[in-house]
Amino acid sequence: MKKELTRTLAIFYCQNVPESGEEVRQSLEKRYGKSIRLFPMPCSGRIDIVHLLRALEEFADSVYVITCPEGSCKYLEGNKRIKKRIERAKSIIESIGIEKERLNLITPVSGDDKVSLASYADEVMEGATKLTPSPVFKKAAHGAGKTKRK
Amino acid sequence: MITAEQKPMDEIRDMIAPYKKILTVGCASCVAECAAGGEKETGALASALRMACKMAGDEKIIHEKTLDRQCVKDFVIQLDEVIKDYDAILSLGCGAGVQAVAEMYNEIPVIPALNTEFLGETRDQGLWIENCLGCGDCMLYTFGGVCPLARCSKQLMNGPCGGSQDGRCEVDPDVPCAWQNIIDRLSSFKALDRLDTIYPPKDWSKKRGAGPRKIVREDQKR
Repeated sequence: MKKELTRTLAIFYCQNVPESGEEVRQSLEKRYGKSIRLFPMPCSGRIDIVHLLRALEEFADSVYVITCPEGSCKYLEGNKRIKKRIERAKSIIESIGIEKERLNLITPVSGDDKVSLASYADEVMEGATKLTPSPVFKKAAHGAGKTKRK
Repeated sequence: MITAEQKPMDEIRDMIAPYKKILTVGCASCVAECAAGGEKETGALASALRMACKMAGDEKIIHEKTLDRQCVKDFVIQLDEVIKDYDAILSLGCGAGVQAVAEMYNEIPVIPALNTEFLGETRDQGLWIENCLGCGDCMLYTFGGVCPLARCSKQLMNGPCGGSQDGRCEVDPDVPCAWQNIIDRLSSFKALDRLDTIYPPKDWSKKRGAGPRKIVREDQKR
């Protein structure tokens, strides 16, 4: 059943997250419609600050990065690198007046290495019901009108 | 390479405030290596500025382009095709890059988005250190490959000062004592006798003190 929300979330995820294949992605997109945009990545270390900012700029009220569990990165330290990049991206968005909580990282601890992508996505989407709209898409104070999402 | 850091966002926003159509121009050379002004950083800055403008209801057009080198005319010329569409350039080049672009396009303001810092080495991922002042009279042979002007806090030509402890500088214990390094290195290849000479202070009058420097190579000219 489709559970479309009024907010849009971008979820970048490492393809080593359990049960994160193409079928799962398609079923999540079917379930949440335009409220979710999923970006499978070969490694979370491939995600750069510019990707996170672009998502916030173009369509997302909030961005999540789901990495593989700590200590199990196939490329050794991809999930450590993204942690630092998210911190840097947070400082950038804060400097322009966007709440840093709009960027989030989920790194499963080693005991959670069986938790599937769908479980994380459901949890994140449930939280999104309380999310306020991004200030980027709010009606501008000086009459520029509401900015359209791409 | 030349190192740089991005200016604070507020300072950049103040400088671009009067302009409506801005081209953000990155440089894929030194400032890309130090993660300040390459393609990714240029994209991130442009994106952040677009968001900031949207939120303020300021209808600016901010595009981005990264040149292989901003300090070389042959690369800057790529802006010829697009420059007419903008009323300001926000450059993520070093000071040399900003000025090279400004020199080519007299009619358009070129705004620096970076603070150029120093000539340095990438010591580790995310760590750049200053190790050359560009004095124009290199003495690295004499000092065993360690420059006391760039790396000794007191810029001593005839060190050590005697204040270092456990190989760390007394001015800043985070900094290794350059003179300890000089002596260790010269000792390791049995060349400590190079320090038997007393070296006079640098004669800056013929270098930096002589105004802007240039290098002319006839064999490289057109």
